[in-house]
Amino acid sequence: MSSVEYTHEVSVIEGRPTLRSLDDLISKPLETRPDKKFYIALSITLSMLGLFVIGLIVTFYYGIGTWGNQIPVAWGFGIVNFVFWVGIGHAGTLISAILFLLRQKWRTGIARFAEGMTIFAVMTAGIFPLIHTGRPWLAGYLFPYPNQHSIWVNFTSPLLWDVFAVSTYFTVSLIFWYVGLIPDFATLREKTSNKIKKLVYSIFSLGWRFSNRHWQHYEMVYLILAGFATPLVLSVHTIVSFDFAVSILPGWHTTIFPPYFVAGAVFSGFAMVQNVLIFVRKIFNYEHIITIDTLERMNKIILLTGSMVGYAYSMEFFIAWYSGVQPEQFTFINRAFGPYAWAYWIMVSCNVLAPQLFWFKKIRRTIPVMFVIAVFVNIGMWFERFVIVVTSLSRDYLPSSWQYFTPSLVDFMILIGSFGFFFTWILLFTKALPVVSIAEVKAVVDGSQPSHKEH
Amino acid sequence: MDLAYQKKYLPTKITVAGYILLVSGFLLSVVGYFTNLERSAFNNIILLTFIISVGMGALFFIGTEYLSGTVWSVPFRRVVEFVAASILLVPFIALPILANMGYLFHWMHPEVVEMDELLKSKAPYLNAKFFIIRVTVFIAIWWLIYFLFTRNSLKQDETKDQKLTKTNTRLSAVFMPFFAITITFTAIDWLMSLEPHWFSTIFGVYYFSGSVLAGLATSTIAIIFLSEKGYLVKGISQDNYYSLGALLFAFTNFWAYIAFSQYLLIWYANLPEETFWFLERWEGSWMYVSIGLIFIRFVIPYFGLLSQPSKKDPKRLVVMSFIVLFAHYYDLYWMVMPTYAKDGFVFGWIEIGFIILAAGLLISVFSYIANKYNMVAIGDPKLKRGIDFKL
Repeated sequence: MSSVEYTHEVSVIEGRPTLRSLDDLISKPLETRPDKKFYIALSITLSMLGLFVIGLIVTFYYGIGTWGNQIPVAWGFGIVNFVFWVGIGHAGTLISAILFLLRQKWRTGIARFAEGMTIFAVMTAGIFPLIHTGRPWLAGYLFPYPNQHSIWVNFTSPLLWDVFAVSTYFTVSLIFWYVGLIPDFATLREKTSNKIKKLVYSIFSLGWRFSNRHWQHYEMVYLILAGFATPLVLSVHTIVSFDFAVSILPGWHTTIFPPYFVAGAVFSGFAMVQNVLIFVRKIFNYEHIITIDTLERMNKIILLTGSMVGYAYSMEFFIAWYSGVQPEQFTFINRAFGPYAWAYWIMVSCNVLAPQLFWFKKIRRTIPVMFVIAVFVNIGMWFERFVIVVTSLSRDYLPSSWQYFTPSLVDFMILIGSFGFFFTWILLFTKALPVVSIAEVKAVVDGSQPSHKEH
Repeated sequence: MDLAYQKKYLPTKITVAGYILLVSGFLLSVVGYFTNLERSAFNNIILLTFIISVGMGALFFIGTEYLSGTVWSVPFRRVVEFVAASILLVPFIALPILANMGYLFHWMHPEVVEMDELLKSKAPYLNAKFFIIRVTVFIAIWWLIYFLFTRNSLKQDETKDQKLTKTNTRLSAVFMPFFAITITFTAIDWLMSLEPHWFSTIFGVYYFSGSVLAGLATSTIAIIFLSEKGYLVKGISQDNYYSLGALLFAFTNFWAYIAFSQYLLIWYANLPEETFWFLERWEGSWMYVSIGLIFIRFVIPYFGLLSQPSKKDPKRLVVMSFIVLFAHYYDLYWMVMPTYAKDGFVFGWIEIGFIILAAGLLISVFSYIANKYNMVAIGDPKLKRGIDFKL
């Protein structure tokens, strides 16, 4: 290895850009009109969103019967998509909060974007339980409030805990994101000459003047919010896993579910962030901010969390055998060799085998290869939820009711449409807000740190 | 690099105290074995899993430092390596148990297994031969990793070769999967199979979380003692300590998270195959031990380490580390002893003897190794950065 050098810290930003050039570069997409490529991309995502709308109209007009759900597979794509999208959101909080607490400077280039993805992913996820309730206009009843009829929500149901967990998570993520944006709004306010923009930025920058005192408060708030967000990363997917694990259904009820779901969520989230950032850094010329080193580190985390997920799969399998409980054993053999074996092996090869390629440095640093692997990871993670939900339900305790689950066209429209919804937000985000934190990146550029006399 | 490091030897007081504890603990446990073999063998399991935890927790700490490129802990790493040396003790502590497995493990008796459908189905895994093979292979892996880590690290003291850091980084990456697998099956073999009908997929993670805490707490005590008394290099500040406190705090929460997940899911589903394990720990006086576990393992360290100043204060850190370390022993006691004493918890001179033995073993091995080598990895390329580290 040629690059053996540990005596000094390598900057996470390449090439020592001037602070001015960073301001200009990061705010450039906000100051220029969208080009043709942007409109092409937007028209694709909007078309997908159109499918979503059609799917929802069909669902609400004719009812949930238009989906593939049946008895015993009463939970189908709805919950699979919900868990998938909540999971995608986790990388953002991990990058912005946990890596912040771990003092990982390389997060600065990607944190803002990942946080944005968290918010959009949770928004996308939130739609599914609403549809799944069948009467989304009654969603207000999900929140417990004192009422004349003394009717309360079911506090012992993890589905209700989901409502609390996801809404808390969304709120804290939004605040965290916004707090990080305040200094950048101020920078934009100073830069722009457009009156309307100036007004908007002024309002959102909350009177930020870059004073020392402001920074001190800002850093304290940021640290505290990171502290709040960290347990939330764990709690949200933990509670999502409780939706399954508190039941007595084989394949759902297993104690490793909480940490396994969290690892899986971070895993898929990182894959999604990596996928999108590969485009962002290329299109906006951020290659020296979101460097190949940063991508390599992300790939290492994908390898780590992918291996954790692999550990959980193996543990489930082993303990199912070890338990000696017949329904448990059957469930896992059925998963691997039953009618859904195809889904199971897609899951295993995408989630466990594919990321193992990241053991090789060359692959961790080759963009097309890492892109493909991360796409596989996302496919695999979607299938993981599919395998958990569908295989267990379709072979429950009553063999006479066993059925094969076949999703309907509407199911697929809503699935594809959810991607449209998510990516529409992403596209708008890239043109509306700085996708990289200007203030934070400036702080980690070489030469911005206080230096001692030896220089 | 001109580091003001001078090799100093530990005061003989400590070495002597270690040996006194070791000898008295050893004698007590030997007498224990002669008076109540079964009870002593159960205590021996607690001791064994405790020492494995300390050693493996320390190895995990070392591996994580290399993999993440951490600098704040580099001035301490040699101390953690000394703590990891306790992994060398494992076969000697395991021997008396392996000789008396019949008293501990239900599944050891063919006539019992013959009568029990569940045990019969587990026999391909739970049998004496495979058990001993697993234990031997695991110990071989741990020893190998320990020797490679420390050999490279010590060699670097002389050569200052940066490539050795790279070698150890790679070794750490290879170590991590082995670490996960061996620690999981150690937990299943020594702790879970005590109740061979019981099963929980999270159990390996549970033992892992406790082990990391045990390794961290032991290292923290040793680090702060040596550093405050001036055995390490100059320039180590409370900023370096801070992360030790933060890690203790984080893993205390992690343990609570894992423990709560395991408990809640089993309680909620209420399946008799699983609940009996917790019910055993709720019957009679065991209830108090279970409640105590929550306080000693979570509530006290949580509030003790919550604030930022407390994570930097050396005195507070040492006190909390002792509590965390004791809590791990307590946790193991809570996992192991209900199998032996079904009617209520027992605590007497045999238990105390084994606790003294644990302390004696840790201190003796540490002081022996610490006197042999440099207490700071003076050849580490990241050392200067580690000393200059500011939060």
